[in-house]
Amino acid sequence: MIRARKLCKTYRVHRRPPGLLEALRSVVRRRYEEVRALCDVSFDIAPGERVGFLGPNGAGKTTALKILSGLLYPTSGSVTVGDFVPQDRRTEFLHMITLVMGQKQQLLWDLPPAETFAMNRALFDLPRDEADATQKELVDLLEIGPLIGKPTRQLSLGERMKCELVAALLHRPRVLFLDEPTIGLDVSMQARVRDFIRRYNESTGATVLLTSHYMEDVAALCPRVIVIDKGHLVYDGDLRTLARRIRPEKRITMHFSSLPAPGELDRLGNCVARSELQATLAVPAAQVTEAVRAALGRLPISDISVEDPPLEEIMQEFLGGQPANGGVRSA
Amino acid sequence: MRRLRHYARLLAVQMRTSLTLAVQYRFDFFLEGALALFWLAITLIPLLVVYSRRESVAGWSFPEALVVVGWFSVLKSVLDGGVTPSLNFVVEGVRKGTLDFVLLKPADAQFLVSTARFEPWRILDFLGSIAVLVYAFHRLGHAPRAGDLMVGLALFGVALILLYSLWILVVSVSFRVVKVDNLSYLFISIFDAGRWPIDVFKGALRLIFTVVFPLALMTTYPAQALLGKLTSAHALLAGTGGLAFAAIARFVWKRALRAYTSASS
Ligand SMILES: Nc1ncnc2c1ncn2[C@@H]1O[C@H](COP(=O)(O)OP(=O)(O)OP(=O)(O)O)[C@@H](O)[C@H]1O
Ligand SMILES: [Mg+2]
Repeated sequence: MIRARKLCKTYRVHRRPPGLLEALRSVVRRRYEEVRALCDVSFDIAPGERVGFLGPNGAGKTTALKILSGLLYPTSGSVTVGDFVPQDRRTEFLHMITLVMGQKQQLLWDLPPAETFAMNRALFDLPRDEADATQKELVDLLEIGPLIGKPTRQLSLGERMKCELVAALLHRPRVLFLDEPTIGLDVSMQARVRDFIRRYNESTGATVLLTSHYMEDVAALCPRVIVIDKGHLVYDGDLRTLARRIRPEKRITMHFSSLPAPGELDRLGNCVARSELQATLAVPAAQVTEAVRAALGRLPISDISVEDPPLEEIMQEFLGGQPANGGVRSA
Repeated sequence: MRRLRHYARLLAVQMRTSLTLAVQYRFDFFLEGALALFWLAITLIPLLVVYSRRESVAGWSFPEALVVVGWFSVLKSVLDGGVTPSLNFVVEGVRKGTLDFVLLKPADAQFLVSTARFEPWRILDFLGSIAVLVYAFHRLGHAPRAGDLMVGLALFGVALILLYSLWILVVSVSFRVVKVDNLSYLFISIFDAGRWPIDVFKGALRLIFTVVFPLALMTTYPAQALLGKLTSAHALLAGTGGLAFAAIARFVWKRALRAYTSASS
């Protein structure tokens, strides 16, 4: 469905040092600087896949989505989405895709979302009854019936995001590019939006490409992740495989009914967090059963749980220890 | 045919949106209307001042110059009501990156940005300007001949095309320099010179206002046509000029789209 080959994008930015004098000088002689946002990125995505783009701020995720949706021209390399080159901006292509940006909105600020929906219906030349049916379906799914008649500026962030989704999906696109669709939403709203995206994907078979800084989103939605760092693709594959490889360990969290004897804890494993009546140990996956049995036998345990280490931490370690232009690691 | 219907429908929807936006702020609606008429009156002052001391300027009598001013005001009302609001829309879209959403829609981007916003109350301005034109011909003591009127109307179309093309060029520049507030201000300031007949200007300025920023083609020639003073050679020149500008504008626009980098995030 999506095919990217040796994709590079270099922005030419006009650099202007701070200060009035410098500003005046730069009017006469402009200095340009090249920012490499993407470098030799290649991947293939099959129809119906849900893929997460991960990477720190400024990694090039948004740039990649903008190239895939045809907004930007790649500096070199090639992209196809379906049978189209996105930059041609063919009508059939634009009917097939959608781009949602958590940071920007297409809803008309002073008018109710329903006006934007009507506008998009005309723009995409959708038959009225078909568009009405889709709109009703989406509105019901997201439970925003009473909101779409209120001016957008009076809606909360989460309500607005849900309306953005309806506006973006009215033409039933088969490829969804979602750039931080859950940014700024509370935990339950995030879960709702996530659920919605999954359901859309499952019921329509649409391909979903998503970026998010919330690991929960990616873990819950995307069986496959593509990690980009400083413009380079550094991992492409299953998120859990990556996690296991970076941190082949489990976390055992224990609550105590009374203070455990000193020294006992250290014998069980590496202690990563400790307070008076609580401790978290990092234990290699293979030794978890043994460690739990030992803990239950020797320590005054009131509660115990075993979990994977937090994904945030794993990503941090992965990206922190990454050389600037390291080779591709794949699962 | 289906395509034409699609675009007609789009135009209707865009206009409806602008109208809905306008009536949302009803107070603004009337205030802006009143202001527009006030500015029209202000426009006449320099003319009155100049003609209070002499009979004719560069071969133009007062009523004749008034035809130019009336014509200029008609164009200006179209500019303020139909062109500048869209210009501001695009400039803001480029700066904030919301133009992304326009480019993602399956319709011609130039059409979409050109029809993005209207200010319906400018119709008052338009009607006021027509009144000035009517008054000028009343002072002249005769109405324009039917043939002259036809040429005048045709040149009105040419003037609109010119105005629009210049505007597209300004927008195209905004893709590169991003902050074009000053540019649109400059545009409007230069356009203001159109209230004077072209013969008032001498030398380089006259050449610039005919070829580079064709004010002469936009206001003087049509006014001359109405007055029955325009040669057919000049009329033809105006027509070709309009088409040439439109072609250049479309070409530059297409190139500019490639340079669009979209604001980050
Ligand atoms: N329009 C632009 N002009 C110039 N440079 C840009 C532009 N957009 C992005 N960049 C630069 O390109 C790089 C990648 O930016 P991009 O927005 O793709 O990152 P990102 O991965 O989406 O980051 P984030 O997680 O913060 O959203 C950054 O260094 C950024 O400064
Ligand atoms: Mg981003």
